[in-house]
Formats: sequence, C-alpha cells, structure tokens
Amino acid sequence: MPEVRTEYQQELDSLEASALGGLDLVSSALSRTLEAIEHQDIELAQIVVADDDRIDGRYLEVHQALITLLATQSPVATDLRLISAMLHVLKNIERMGDQCVNICKVIPMSGHEPPADEAMVKLILTMGTHTKSLISQAKRAFEERNVEMARDLVQRDDVVDELNRECFQLALAIGDDADKREWAMTMLLTARAIERIADNAVDIGEQVAFVVTGLFREFEDASHPHADA
Amino acid sequence: MFGSQAKPEAEEGRNTMSQAGPVTETSNQPSETPPARRAKTLEAKEVNLYYGDFHAVEGVNMTIEPNKVTALIGSSGCGKTTFLRSLNRMHELTPGATVKGNIELDGEDIYAGGVDPVAVRRLIGMVFQQPNPFPTMSIYDNVAAGLNFNAGKVSKADKDAIVERSLRGAHLWDEVKDRLGRPGSGLSGGQQQRLCIARATAVSPEVLLMDEPCSALDPVATLAIEDLISELKKEYTIAIVTHNMQQAARASDNTAFFNLDESGKPGHLVEIGPTDEIFTKPKKKETEDYVSGRFG
Repeated sequence: MPEVRTEYQQELDSLEASALGGLDLVSSALSRTLEAIEHQDIELAQIVVADDDRIDGRYLEVHQALITLLATQSPVATDLRLISAMLHVLKNIERMGDQCVNICKVIPMSGHEPPADEAMVKLILTMGTHTKSLISQAKRAFEERNVEMARDLVQRDDVVDELNRECFQLALAIGDDADKREWAMTMLLTARAIERIADNAVDIGEQVAFVVTGLFREFEDASHPHADA
Repeated sequence: MFGSQAKPEAEEGRNTMSQAGPVTETSNQPSETPPARRAKTLEAKEVNLYYGDFHAVEGVNMTIEPNKVTALIGSSGCGKTTFLRSLNRMHELTPGATVKGNIELDGEDIYAGGVDPVAVRRLIGMVFQQPNPFPTMSIYDNVAAGLNFNAGKVSKADKDAIVERSLRGAHLWDEVKDRLGRPGSGLSGGQQQRLCIARATAVSPEVLLMDEPCSALDPVATLAIEDLISELKKEYTIAIVTHNMQQAARASDNTAFFNLDESGKPGHLVEIGPTDEIFTKPKKKETEDYVSGRFG
C-alpha cells in the first residue's frame, strides 16, 4: 500500500520540530538568564529580554500553521491530539520565555554590590540548572512519545519546588537591613519564576501522555496529591 | 496556439507532436519523468453562461493560477460545473448553450473566431466524475487515444514513450505495465480514474479540469488521486469542482465559492482566495456559512 498524504505528514513533522525547537530557544534563554544572575550582568539580561521576541515569533508562526492544518486537513485521532498538544506546548514555551524575561527585568534591581546571601544565589542557580534538565527531558519525552519519561518530570519538579521553599526560608532569615531585604525579595521573584518554568515543563509532560493515551489530565495536583494517572 | 478550424498547425512548445522536447527526451530515457514546467494561466473575464434564455451563471471574473489547484465549491445548481465546462468549450456542446465574455489562456481568447474547439479541448483537458475509459480499448490504446485521434503521425517508439510517461505521471505505470494490452475496463475505480488522467495528460495539455473526480471513489482511492493532483500541479494548471469541502480544503491552493441567491437566479462567484484563508478567515459571511456547513 503506497504512502498517501505525504505532504501533510511532512508538514506535521516540520511543525512539531518547529514547536519543540521553541524549547531550545527557552533553554538558551534560561542559560543566559542564569549567567546574568550569577554575574549580575545587566547587559546580558537586556539581551534575554530582547530575544524573547524570537520565542514569541515562533509561538505565533507555528500557532497559525497549526490552525491552518486543522482547517484544511481535518485531522483526527492521534494527529488531532498531536496538534492539540502542540498548541498547548507552544503556550507553555511562550510562558517559559516570559518567565525568563521577568527574571531579567528584576536583575538590575538587585544592585551592584555582592549578593547579600551567597547561599541563596547558589540555590537559585541550582534550581535553574535542574530546570534546564527538566526542559531537556520534556523535549525528549515529547519527541519519543515516552510517557514514563514524561511522568518522571513530576518527581524532578518536586526537587525544584523544594529548593524554592528553601529560598523562601533563607529570605525570611535575611535580617532587618532594608537593602538586604529588597535584594532577597528580587531573589524570591527569581526563584518563583524558575519554579514556574519547571512547572511548565511538567505540563508539557502531561501533553505527551495525552498524545499517547488520549487521556487529558494532570499527573498530580494539590487537591489530589497521590492520584493515579 | 489553438490553430485554425481548417487544419491543425504546428504550435509552439510542447503542444506539438512534431517538435523536439519532452517527446524526444523521454524516448531516450523512458523511465525519467519530465521536468516541472511553468503551465499557463486561465482567466475568466465577465463570463456569463446561458442555456437558451436561462441565465445560468453571471459575471464571473477569476484567475486560475498556473501550477496551482483551484477548487470550485458551492451548493448544487450554483453553476460551478457549468462554469468549469465553459473553460474548455464543452458548455457549447449542449444545444442552445451560449457563452458571453472572455476566457483566456495566457492572454489568448479560447472563444475567438477561428479557434478550433477541439484544439482547445486538447490543451484544456477534462476528467469526469464517472471514470470513463474507452471500454473496448486496451489500457495502452486508452492512453494513446488522443494521439491517435489528433493529427500528426506519431512513431511507435514515441507513442510508447508518451504512454509510459503518462501512466507514470498518473501513478499507474507500476500497476499496469505488464498488462498494457488488457482492457481499460478491467481496472478498479481508482485505477480507471488514473487511466483517464493519463489519457488527458498524454496529449500534453496546459490545463486539467476535473469535475468531481473522486465522487465515485472510495476514501483510499480518493486520497491517492489527491496526492496525484498535488504532483500534477507541478506541470499543469488545475481546476477541480468538488462537493466535498474537506477535499477542497486538503487538495487545493485556491478556492472559489459559487452560490445562488435563490432558485431560478443565476449562479455567481461569491469569493475566491487562498484555500487556507477561505477556511480560516473568509471575507464574506456567505462563504463562512457555507464552509462551516451552516447551509447546504
């Protein structure tokens, strides 16, 4: 039986590559963001903010192409789930990019003195590195349609959540100095943004499960912490 | 390009059997497909079509772009098939049927005085809804029929090459190469339709008109024809009338929506545009209502 609809399949494959390529853009934005935090590099932070246009551009372009594919190819079954998943993943990517921007916008506010608490900076950089590897894993899970790998993201995200809580404790203990407190608040915003990025990676994992199983649901959420998916 | 009614004349480009070109190339290398080429533009200007006194289609202005597929959609009776048949002078075969306005192939009016309608129908070929291979002829003779009927002696070697090229171009060669002498009617519906496409392309047309080419076929055969159409547009200009909106959405580059205001009134062109726009953000509400199935 010869293959039919090869152009459609090629278009679908190409859009998937484009959408997942957005995760590479996010990864690189996050790397630069972490570098900007580590070295208090305001210029690098500004570059991240400007470059977010590329992520937004990818979002809009692939979104439009997916809508066109829906309108013209009447996709059903896995194709339809894949397109739906990609629409969600694109949104996740766009949000992750925006979180990097949020971090980079507060870096200048953290001042030019050495950090008030080295431990906190270390925590944040660790959160960041861990989150980068979550993003990689989410991308691979999607490419390989690997539900186990996707589900594993939940546990790895727990690590990031724990680090975020530790940051919060460190911030509480920072003391009365007004400058220090301001610095600690910007660091908390940063930690929070990284935690959000990691969360978005888990959401991508949930989309992997949807494509493969057809079941659209959260892996776990606060009101049902041990729910079976 | 169309010659006169008196005798067919030597024509430019690939439309003449006696000239060098794809014919000689393919007879040296029968298994190579001809290179993609720029096909011609078909343009309708203020076309009005009548059956006797009845005004069937009014005021159509549209361009059928070269190397693209233009789908004509619209509800029953809206004139899209009547319009299609005017594009290769088949409308006038109905007694009393007349055409007003101009239809031009790369700027040359196909209705100009002295134009041979048979030559027009060779350059602007048609494939019909019901596959209609000549039932008593072999597969080979079906494809070669146009060569045999039209003037100009074609050598056996050249004919063989053209038949192979056409069958390959119609994605049918591998399935029939060992039984070219068998009757055309022995093939499946989808194969018969591809045979009709091969027959149409054997005479090197510029344009292929298809009137609901897949309506009589099952879904798998339909998709195979759609894939074929997507290959064919590399060489030809294609217009296809279809009732199947998903097919228009899948298989065409541009879509023209025809409609009737009410029964008894002439059909007219409501909107024409790139297919992805017609199906994602059409300009007219009428078009939107039709494509989203809100009225038949």
